[in-house]
Amino acid sequence: MKLRRTTILQVIETKLTRDIMPLLSDDFAHNDLRMAASLLAIDRMERENAVALQVEEHERLRALFADAAAIVDDAALRERLQAAASGRTANFRLSALEAETGALRGLLVALHEHVEARGDPASREMDQAIWRAIRDTERSRNPAS
Amino acid sequence: MSDLEIGLARYLAHRMPSASGIEVSGLSRIHGGSSQETYRYEAKWSEAGEAKQGWFILRRAPEAGLVNAEHDLEYTVYSALAGKGVPIPRVHFLELDRQWLERPFFIMDMAPGKPGHFFNSEDPYEGESGAVGRNFWTHLGALASLDTGGLGLDMLRGAGDPRPAWQRELDHWEQRLDEGEDIVEPLLRGAIRWMRRNPPPRPARLSVVHGDYRSGNFLFLPDGAISAVLDWEMCHLGDPLEDIAWALDPMWSMGRYFDEERGLELWQQASGIAIDREALDWWRLFAAIKASAIWTTAEKSVEEGVSQEMVLGLTVSRAGPFHRGVVLRAMERRGVMG
Repeated sequence: MKLRRTTILQVIETKLTRDIMPLLSDDFAHNDLRMAASLLAIDRMERENAVALQVEEHERLRALFADAAAIVDDAALRERLQAAASGRTANFRLSALEAETGALRGLLVALHEHVEARGDPASREMDQAIWRAIRDTERSRNPAS
Repeated sequence: MSDLEIGLARYLAHRMPSASGIEVSGLSRIHGGSSQETYRYEAKWSEAGEAKQGWFILRRAPEAGLVNAEHDLEYTVYSALAGKGVPIPRVHFLELDRQWLERPFFIMDMAPGKPGHFFNSEDPYEGESGAVGRNFWTHLGALASLDTGGLGLDMLRGAGDPRPAWQRELDHWEQRLDEGEDIVEPLLRGAIRWMRRNPPPRPARLSVVHGDYRSGNFLFLPDGAISAVLDWEMCHLGDPLEDIAWALDPMWSMGRYFDEERGLELWQQASGIAIDREALDWWRLFAAIKASAIWTTAEKSVEEGVSQEMVLGLTVSRAGPFHRGVVLRAMERRGVMG
């Protein structure tokens, strides 16, 4: 059976909290170790979904950009939206995914500012669609939100 | 004796030339007040033939923290507010010269009492939530009632700034986001632009704003009295509703332990200011934006290796998503999603 990274992290958490913490008499060090174990637990839980969440966000934003390109009258912004909408996530290393997320979110902010500055019905609808996309992304990242 | 105890004893001898036989012992670090390293210690000395002793708090600038505090700000605020109706510890020495303890620091009395551990307990005030809540809101109202003109706090952010308080604070914290964000959060930026388009009115009165007034940042006594309001690193002049909104933030809200409406009544009585509920709602959204900016600053500190404090890593991991959730729900209530 394969030993998974998440299992290794869980073993370390248990080792820290069950075996090492009781040996520490200094309150500050004790609390630090408790927090270190909690951080490992958070990382273990997030590791499983880290790639999927970003790929889903990329797809959500590209679909939104395709719709937005049809209503945006600024030629330069429209071109950026079309280019992003036709792109695809090809590199699944976390660092590459994060760079792609940063670029797509930057474009989303530019689009959002653009539609906010216009009062026509199509822009108002796109403003709401952007907020719904933001909500859906946030709920995927953070189900408690 | 640790190096820090030795350095501290040497410093006290320098600052207290009439004292002799200075001993420092029992120095231990305390969690909390994440923007400064906080230690308690016991000092013993003789002065004019009389033996003296006391427990003190050393607040030393961190390698990096949640906020970039000015090193003398908190000391200056404690000095200015002494005897002004808000319980605070007495401060003794401020030292900006790094030769003594490597970083700037100040020393103050260790106030009696304990903080309520609201993350770990359903009853952080040990059966005295009623008295603690009354004192909490009354002290905050007293702070808002102070005439800022005569306090000698002209160096605080907000003094002499012609911008409205809401704009200055929003500018300040958006700049922290600009500096700290590696990947932009469209949720926070969209909320900030909405806030700029829908600002609150000017405050009834420019007040001293604590900046971090909440559960966990004061000490209480067994009878529910508050012995000291702590952690003034983010103090500035501004709209007093900012402190109310921060105190009500759902991550640490006093409303869990004391009726919110009753608390607001007590604040109004103590401050003499009527609360504009619509403006307060704006400041509640601001509180979540400010918190998010603070977590972003901390995230940057850890990511860049400037800080290796576990508390920063853990706070960011939990509180960042929490406050984005607060912002999201606030924007949903404002109907932005149709």
